[in-house]
Amino acid sequence: MIEMIKVSRTYDPNITALSDISLSIATGEMFFLIGRSGAGKTTLLKLICNMETPSNGLIEVAGYNINKLKGKDLAHLRQKIGVAYQDFKLLSNRTVAENIAIAMEVSYKKPRAIRHRVRDLLEQLQLVDKHDTLTGELSRGEQQRVALARSVANSPRLILVDEPTGNLDASTTKRVMELLTRCNKAGATIVIATHDDSIYQQGNHRIMELRDGNIHSLTRGQLS
Amino acid sequence: MNFWFAVFRQAGRNLRQTWTSQFMTFLTVSLSVLIFAFFYLIYTNMLGAGDRLSDDLRLIVYLEEEPGPQMQEQLRRKIQNFDDVEEIHFISREEAYQRFARQLGENSDVLKDMPKNFLPASIEVIPLKSLRGYNQIKLFSEYLANLPGTEKVQYGQEWVERFYYFTRLLTIVVFLSGTLLILTATFMVAYTIRLTIMGRQDELELLKLVGATNSYIRTPFLIEGILQGFMGSIIGLTALYGLFQWISSHFAGPGLLSLFQFSFFPPIVIFLIILSSICLCSIGSYTSIRKFLRI
Ligand SMILES: Nc1ncnc2c1ncn2[C@@H]1O[C@H](COP(=O)(O)OP(=O)(O)OP(=O)(O)O)[C@@H](O)[C@H]1O
Ligand SMILES: [Mg+2]
Repeated sequence: MIEMIKVSRTYDPNITALSDISLSIATGEMFFLIGRSGAGKTTLLKLICNMETPSNGLIEVAGYNINKLKGKDLAHLRQKIGVAYQDFKLLSNRTVAENIAIAMEVSYKKPRAIRHRVRDLLEQLQLVDKHDTLTGELSRGEQQRVALARSVANSPRLILVDEPTGNLDASTTKRVMELLTRCNKAGATIVIATHDDSIYQQGNHRIMELRDGNIHSLTRGQLS
Repeated sequence: MNFWFAVFRQAGRNLRQTWTSQFMTFLTVSLSVLIFAFFYLIYTNMLGAGDRLSDDLRLIVYLEEEPGPQMQEQLRRKIQNFDDVEEIHFISREEAYQRFARQLGENSDVLKDMPKNFLPASIEVIPLKSLRGYNQIKLFSEYLANLPGTEKVQYGQEWVERFYYFTRLLTIVVFLSGTLLILTATFMVAYTIRLTIMGRQDELELLKLVGATNSYIRTPFLIEGILQGFMGSIIGLTALYGLFQWISSHFAGPGLLSLFQFSFFPPIVIFLIILSSICLCSIGSYTSIRKFLRI
């Protein structure tokens, strides 16, 4: 699903966020990205969804060189990639339901189907009572779950999740991971960037640790 | 759900979010359509009246002497030398007297003591319909005045002159109000759309990230422009029509206005005004999209 060959990203006053990352993630894999704050996890995810362009190297997603894609093709590929951003990127003056719906509206889903899907997701994430609340009025943890719901709403083939559990308690974290696991079982490739060792320790997923923009280690989690 | 459904839903959201400035724009567009169409209506009606006036236009050339048949032939040739004319009538003193008597009707007995040749002989020249415009008529009359044996030429100079200058003035006013229409329609629409775009940077950014196509993002703004142009011109023209009805019912009847026979625009002109208003507003929104929607 994702191929990265010698990818680097530097920011202007010679900050190297990532250097020479080569990585291959298979379709249907659940992949964890860990590392200290500032290690380059967010940067890597942004490169994969073409929010940022690499300074060097090649990135292929679903067989497309994502940096060469333009216009309609890029838009269609993005519809197949769901991203939960670390800073959420929610529209604070819109309701929870509207925020989640946006991801489905752009691919012209029927309003009825959208309503159902939104209800379903809110149930899974225990947010049903917030359906009509403006996202600006939610707590961080609630916003985080709305962002996650939006990323998976359109049943994308690839889901990129940045710190999905940073503000959540143990039982809510469990629900979030259950949702992601379900998406993964349904065939979606999932990349999760996190600090939270409770979520990647179980299962035998691959775990890549970044340190100062380099790959420090690539291991498998222990089966519990 | 298809593309157009999504686009109209998005346009509806835009309208709801910025309806005050949208409404101001709508008012401005309708007002400028009203102003332009008002002057243009007067202008077309003036032109119509001008046509009718010049249909009746005839130049009377008063002669010093009663021309003989040979002289008549010569004058006819000289007049036609200048330009072809519709008709030339020679009116002898006798005929002039009789006409005058007929015009006086019952009062014709005042002429009883007058000699039958006290009125001068004249030539009545009806110029071709193609001879339009004040300058041409003036030139022609000067030419006629210089023919041998003419005393003076009459054609209601003052009237024609005033009418001519009034039409000229109207042309300028129509031109200015047309410019006003163009400027306000394009700039106001561009401005409101800019406002909408600025106020929704976050959303547009996000739409891009979740995979909205460019046309999904752009078309709603274009629709807004088209809607402004359409609604604005319809309301502007409706207001003008109301005004027109009011004027024609209050000032109808004999008198000056009957000369003008006020008539409203024919459907094709209405259509063109609406169409150009739509075009201008779309151009306005398009420029804003181009400038501020970095996608
Ligand atoms: N837009 C930017 N301009 C300049 N430097 C940046 C920019 N974005 C990221 N960086 C730098 O790149 C490095 C990696 O940042 P990144 O956000 O990828 O870290 P992270 O691993 O996601 O950290 P965290 O766990 O805190 O989210 C950091 O040193 C950061 O300062
Ligand atoms: Mg980060």
